[in-house]
Amino acid sequence: MNTSETPQTVHEQIVALLPRLRRFARNLTRNPHDADDVVQIAIERALTRLDQWHRDARLDSWMFKIVRNAWIDELRSRARRDKLFVGAEAGEHIGADSMAREADLLSVQSAMARLPEDQREAVSLVLIEGLPYREAAEVLDVPIGTLTSRLARGREALQALLGTEGESL
Amino acid sequence: MTISDETLMAYADGELDAAARAAVESAMLSDPQIEKRVAQHRALRLKVQAAYSAELSEALPERLLMAARGAPSRQAGNVVNLQEARAAMERSAPRAAPRRPQWQSAGALAASLIVGVGVGFFMWGRSESPLVLGPGGALVARGPLARALSGQLASEQSQSSAVRIEVSFLAKSGDYCRTFSLSGEASPSGLACRHGDQWQVQALARESAVGGESEYRTAGSGLPASILKSVEGQIAGEPLDQAGEKAARDRGWKSNAP
Repeated sequence: MNTSETPQTVHEQIVALLPRLRRFARNLTRNPHDADDVVQIAIERALTRLDQWHRDARLDSWMFKIVRNAWIDELRSRARRDKLFVGAEAGEHIGADSMAREADLLSVQSAMARLPEDQREAVSLVLIEGLPYREAAEVLDVPIGTLTSRLARGREALQALLGTEGESL
Repeated sequence: MTISDETLMAYADGELDAAARAAVESAMLSDPQIEKRVAQHRALRLKVQAAYSAELSEALPERLLMAARGAPSRQAGNVVNLQEARAAMERSAPRAAPRRPQWQSAGALAASLIVGVGVGFFMWGRSESPLVLGPGGALVARGPLARALSGQLASEQSQSSAVRIEVSFLAKSGDYCRTFSLSGEASPSGLACRHGDQWQVQALARESAVGGESEYRTAGSGLPASILKSVEGQIAGEPLDQAGEKAARDRGWKSNAP
């Protein structure tokens, strides 16, 4: 890689990564609007911390990690807000219903949505985004053994969900 | 020799070193079950990849492209920073009429600004902007928005109201504040606080109108993050409950605070 790389080319690299960042964020958040918000936050964070990106590291892994951390922050602050808004109005969690409706149409997506979060992240990074195990483990901040066992369980669950759903239709 | 399923999975994912790969390959030759299992791992990988490949060719939202290119978030975001919005309004004020009272020209500018920043208020009422620029440079609610802020109770509104009120609370400033959402495709939302006899809008944001996402909204947490942040920053204590909201309305949103 050219070491005299200008920031402009990093911007363009991030632009090129956008489709995958969005896709990963959607798998994390399971909501396209949240996903775009999280990607936007992650881009802004990444650009202010470009000095922390080691040029020999993969930009995609680094960005996936920032996206994931942004989502974790968002979930934390949402938990605080939920406390804040309890009682203000009974929360109707319509999201779950519309998710179920979509599930009937999109079997792989619906099976993914049913995976526990840790398995969904592992499957998403390795099978969908194509990261090597080592990179995916790094994004998730876990040892590689943890990554492979989450991935194995996630795959098993997907296979079971896709198999049985195929029969029941 | 037995080979774990995780090893077969790693083989299918191209993660094994040469020695381990050779061991799996020779096991595959001698055991059709192992071969079948590897094929299943590969098939699942392909199936999952294929199911998510269409997303890569979707059009990208402008705000993300702008953010990636490092444009200031004022242009990139769908969130309106009111201070910057006001500054932009003043910068673009017609120089030809410097003596005109500011609010007069600014009122019209407020309308164009709101369209300009894409808040989408005009989706809601083409003929009447729900906001005007007040004398002190504040964005002030008017018309149906102002009426809803003054009179509508969160507990008694119908689904078809043009304005929805979500949360009411007493701010640290001593003013009462309420979050609102306007109906319409762009469903802008905001936070307004009662100051004197006006509802001054403190924050505005737009839910972009991507298909069906409003169905993911829940009552409180469905407000855009920027609005919730404004609430979090301003609220003193807890949001008003039903009785508190009604009492505050009946007092004309005048707080007892000094």
